[in-house]
Amino acid sequence: MSSSFARARRNEMLLAYALLLPSLIFLAVFTYWPIIRSVWFSLHDVLLGDPEIFWLGAENYLRLLDDRLFWKVLGNTAFYTLTTIPLSIIVALLLAVAMDSKLRGMAIYRSAFFYPVMIPSVAAGMLWVFLYAPGYGPINAALTTLGLPRLDWLYDSDWALPAIVIMSIWKYSGYFMLILLAALKLVPSDLYEAARLDGVSGWHRLIHITVPLVSPTLYFVIIIGTLHSYQIFDYVYVMTQGGPADSTNVLTYYIYQNGFQYQDIGYASALANALLIAVLGFIGLVSVTLGRRVHYLGER
Amino acid sequence: MKSTKPNMMRRRLLATGLAAPFVSAMPGILTPARANDTVKLQFMYPVGVSGDINTIISNMIAEFNATHDGVEVEAIYAGSYDNTEQKVITSLGVGEPPALWLPINSSLQTFLGLDALEDITEQAKADDIYDDFIGGFLDTAVSDGRLYGLSYQPSTPVLYYNKDAFAEAGLGDAPVTWDELMTAAQALTIRDGDALKRWGLTIGGGWHDWMFEGYCRQNGLVPWEADKVLWDRPEAIEALEFWKKMVDAGCMAPASTWQGSANDFMAGSTAMLYHSTGSLTNLRTSSPFEVGVAFMPKRKQFGASQGGGPIMIAKNQSDAKKEAAWTFARWMTNTENQAAWSRATGYLAVRKSSWQQPEMQQYLAEVPQAEVAMKQAEYSGAFLQVPAYSRARDNLKSAIDRTLAGEIAPEAALTTATADTNREIQRVQRRQG
Amino acid sequence: MSDATLTPAADRPAATVPARRPRWRKTLRENWLHAVMLPLALLWLSPLVWILVTSLKTQTEVFDQSAGFWPASLTFSNYPSTLSVAPFGTYLVNSVLVTGSILAGQLVTITLAAYAFARLSFPGKNLLFTLFLLQVMFPIYAIFLTNFVTLREMGLVNTIPAMIVPFVASGYGTFMLRQSFRQVPAELSDAARLDGCGHLSILWHVYLPLVKPTLIAFGIISVVTHWNDYMWPLLVTNSEGIRTLPIGLGLLAKADSGADWPRLMAGTTIVVSPLLLLFVIFQRRFIDSFMHTGVK
Repeated sequence: MSSSFARARRNEMLLAYALLLPSLIFLAVFTYWPIIRSVWFSLHDVLLGDPEIFWLGAENYLRLLDDRLFWKVLGNTAFYTLTTIPLSIIVALLLAVAMDSKLRGMAIYRSAFFYPVMIPSVAAGMLWVFLYAPGYGPINAALTTLGLPRLDWLYDSDWALPAIVIMSIWKYSGYFMLILLAALKLVPSDLYEAARLDGVSGWHRLIHITVPLVSPTLYFVIIIGTLHSYQIFDYVYVMTQGGPADSTNVLTYYIYQNGFQYQDIGYASALANALLIAVLGFIGLVSVTLGRRVHYLGER
Repeated sequence: MKSTKPNMMRRRLLATGLAAPFVSAMPGILTPARANDTVKLQFMYPVGVSGDINTIISNMIAEFNATHDGVEVEAIYAGSYDNTEQKVITSLGVGEPPALWLPINSSLQTFLGLDALEDITEQAKADDIYDDFIGGFLDTAVSDGRLYGLSYQPSTPVLYYNKDAFAEAGLGDAPVTWDELMTAAQALTIRDGDALKRWGLTIGGGWHDWMFEGYCRQNGLVPWEADKVLWDRPEAIEALEFWKKMVDAGCMAPASTWQGSANDFMAGSTAMLYHSTGSLTNLRTSSPFEVGVAFMPKRKQFGASQGGGPIMIAKNQSDAKKEAAWTFARWMTNTENQAAWSRATGYLAVRKSSWQQPEMQQYLAEVPQAEVAMKQAEYSGAFLQVPAYSRARDNLKSAIDRTLAGEIAPEAALTTATADTNREIQRVQRRQG
Repeated sequence: MSDATLTPAADRPAATVPARRPRWRKTLRENWLHAVMLPLALLWLSPLVWILVTSLKTQTEVFDQSAGFWPASLTFSNYPSTLSVAPFGTYLVNSVLVTGSILAGQLVTITLAAYAFARLSFPGKNLLFTLFLLQVMFPIYAIFLTNFVTLREMGLVNTIPAMIVPFVASGYGTFMLRQSFRQVPAELSDAARLDGCGHLSILWHVYLPLVKPTLIAFGIISVVTHWNDYMWPLLVTNSEGIRTLPIGLGLLAKADSGADWPRLMAGTTIVVSPLLLLFVIFQRRFIDSFMHTGVK
């Protein structure tokens, strides 16, 4: 009896590894190998374009501590992530809940909120450069109409990063909406029905029923959203190149600058590894705090 | 960064996996096709002006291939100047560079640092290059008296101005000196209460360090030497103080972006604009008003530094390919091609003879603005040709931005940027030493 | 949030409908949601309107303050003239090929891996899952160089597969699908087990049909991401014959002299249209698929 149980366990284990194998082969070549190399590179003086590398030990990491710009960039990255992710997820959740109804015209709404995701970042960035133009841009025109002060947006080191945050909410709310909508579709509707018959109000239903029910996906979206904030690279690259006064320089862009523009692959690798450690720490924190509270419908 | 030890212990390591084991791996690209001995060349180029440039270059290449037996050039669009440089350097790293490429001239020391460039001094001397090329343009590809490229699409920043706005403000000609510039900018600025309607002057962001070098030159300083930058000299500090004065007076935009500033000008949100000559055709044809072009105003003298780039030839390739590459580079920069290229783009033709062509004379008669940058080129020199130029540029841009945003005083900003950059240059040079 | 969420669906028994309420109240209840959604949707759509309008303007019109918002006359010639800048037809075929292959590969790898993580127990599960996530966590610009070298070693530089193989495994997709699999009631698979179905058969017949919305959502996201990829294709391709649409778009946007607005916007419309069409078609399926799932 117990040996057949052990055999079943072993078979399950082998099956699991077999199922993971296709992914692991590709990950090994195109993810793990580059990461290992990047750890190796970070301990060397590596010049892009030059096959020779020189041992430096910890110097690249020590440089990092002394690098004024690195700390500024880190702050910008944190600001961007901590504003964009909560805001777009909240907008996305409200949209998704509204979209989940069978109201007429929802197909149009869905397209209206999702299409920004499809606009290539090169074009979207250029588009918003125009929208944000201080002189003739439609956004300032709208602010004037509303009686609000005009802003210099991308030309102002205080407003450039918030401007990119606003644009990201436009671009990515629809993205998170789509994922959450897919999750809502999995929620049995009789649960709502019961709640409604019990007279639970709309707001309470959202907090006490909808949110817990989609918590696995919400958890996914929070983690992925954080990592997704790497995408800001595209807009920084197209719109501001990190300026003015480094106010929109973020870690992914700074890594790109160091690695490809300054050819300083060693330092870029050290930055990337530092980022990886920070993100791993963050994910660990999220999985310990939020992950424990996630409720899976399929599990008891 | 202080931790850099002068006599640090260093082990030379062969970059396992970076290059050596693979050089022989890829068939087809390294070995030229055997069929009738055609030499195949790859040419990587950026597109700096507008999409049509791609068509023009494709047509030029097609014409070259049709008229030259035994050579076949493949033109590879490689994105912006930065992208092009990165693509070439990445290929260099795996020992497989393209035969020729067209980078920005500031990258000269970067490529020399990688020992990537073919010295073409002798071929050029045997040819008419030294006679017919306009001296300032030729110099952008010269290091230690040796020539490493044929200037192909040089540009300088110029002052664009909105003639309608000038007429409105009762101004006549474009300003000639810094003081006149400031007076004009103030007269052209329009405010409606607190709200700004039009800036007097905008300096194209993203490349404002390039304009700033022009200001240094106008103030009598070339702000760099072979292995260091000199932004902490009084002439440079004075230039930045002048910018700050204009920003404080409310007549100059404290920051902008490259694309945005061109748009601002076309939309009438700024009356004067410092931008590249390469933008001439676009600004002229897209603006709903008459566009004037003038020298950048002077202080002690006129001055500008050159953007744009030369065609460079790879050192690491067979002699047959080098020879074919030279033929191609020579052809791209011949009298007619340069004249045609200049008319189509607004870049400056590099040859004196190109400017003598009847078509060119006719074009200048129609578009007299085109000649301004050409004349200004007399006062121009190469742009920031130091090792680690890319980081140097970013340091300077950041220093300027922070000064104009009021975060830091001009002198402190430039002193820090200079120290940071020079330390970086030393770090890069340590590899060679 | 909204009461309209509970507006009875057509396929639900009429008995549960609170039909006794006055009709105007019902109309109001439905319409207040419209009243919120409509302005918001218009706000979201306004940039799209600008894209379309600009693509029909002449160059001078774009910045002429005295010209109105609408073009004086519709300049459709921007479209053919955009297409003449680069071989967009070839680019389109390549884009379809690249995104299609990536998606096909990803669907296989993530389905298998997600099932293992969601429903099987094996040693090292948490560690392996973290390793999968590493792919999403590590900034892509730090791996460009090594992947370029690897691909070159494989002889894949300047080929279509170079744009595909680095993305075949997806930590992102695995994570997304794992979350959905874990939402599937265990009773369903237990029942199938008792009927003698193996894991793969359960995966195919029970799990995949149930998580169709997630698969479609992932599909849309994956296609959109790789459809718009710019830097990597630019680095690993040289020949026009194998390049993709965003590179063509880059020709119009990466201008030293300020963008060529009408044509950039025409190009954007051209690049986005196939995606938009696909989305409009698939979002219908998206709704259908949930109506037929057995979860309800």
